[in-house]
Amino acid sequence: MKRSVLLAVASLAVAVSAAACGGANGAQSSPSATTDPGAPRIVAADLKFGPAPSVTAGTAFGLVFENRDGAPHNVAIASDGGFSSVVFRGDVVTGSTVTYQVPALAAGTYWFRCDVHPDMTGTLVAG
Amino acid sequence: MQGSESRLTPAGVALRAIIVGLTLVTGYIHSTLGGPLFSLNAVGYAVAALAMIVPLGIAIRYRGVVRLGLIAYAATTIVGWALMGPRYPTAYLAKADELLLIAVLAVDFVRADGNPLAYVRSVVGDALAFVGLRPAAAGSRA
Repeated sequence: MKRSVLLAVASLAVAVSAAACGGANGAQSSPSATTDPGAPRIVAADLKFGPAPSVTAGTAFGLVFENRDGAPHNVAIASDGGFSSVVFRGDVVTGSTVTYQVPALAAGTYWFRCDVHPDMTGTLVAG
Repeated sequence: MQGSESRLTPAGVALRAIIVGLTLVTGYIHSTLGGPLFSLNAVGYAVAALAMIVPLGIAIRYRGVVRLGLIAYAATTIVGWALMGPRYPTAYLAKADELLLIAVLAVDFVRADGNPLAYVRSVVGDALAFVGLRPAAAGSRA
């Protein structure tokens, strides 16, 4: 019994120190944020995306992505709702704002989602 | 009895500490991801970590089942990520942690419980005896 209690204490001590040293955000690079106030913007908050912007077709653009959650999110854009044709995939960021450089999109409707939380979705129109 | 904790050695204690540490680290990572699926996954890891160390008779007797269950749980998490998870540094860190966890659990299982097939046969026999489908064998865990 004594040995079991010692085992429990030793295990918890190792676990707590390991968890304290290895935060989930520590290994993740966070791109620097340079935001143009007029740039199209997508906001993630409470595990949902806010209203989607309209973008200009045929021109590469900077897409401001503001992640207000403590959870990691990104924006992946696809030309179909099943996300079999992803045209852009942004880096995952946590609690910060970044500007993605999105290649030119042909006119039409696109779907976007968070790769970490695939139930976070939205649509954007290039026109 | 196979798997008895009365035979714990310093190496066994160290292995167990590593297992609990790795389990709690991946559980913590999943707890930071938000959403019910990741939260439940984190709770599962926390419960498994507790089951690896709790000094209760039934947990001690069936620690091998916990080891096998945790191996299956971590493997399922890895497969789920491989099929539909995002590729980014924290995810790779969590998967590396889980792969290492599986390896250490396998070593710990062989040290403590011996042949996995023989162990599973023995536990299934105990379960059948418990529900009255087979007479309890001598030296049974149940």
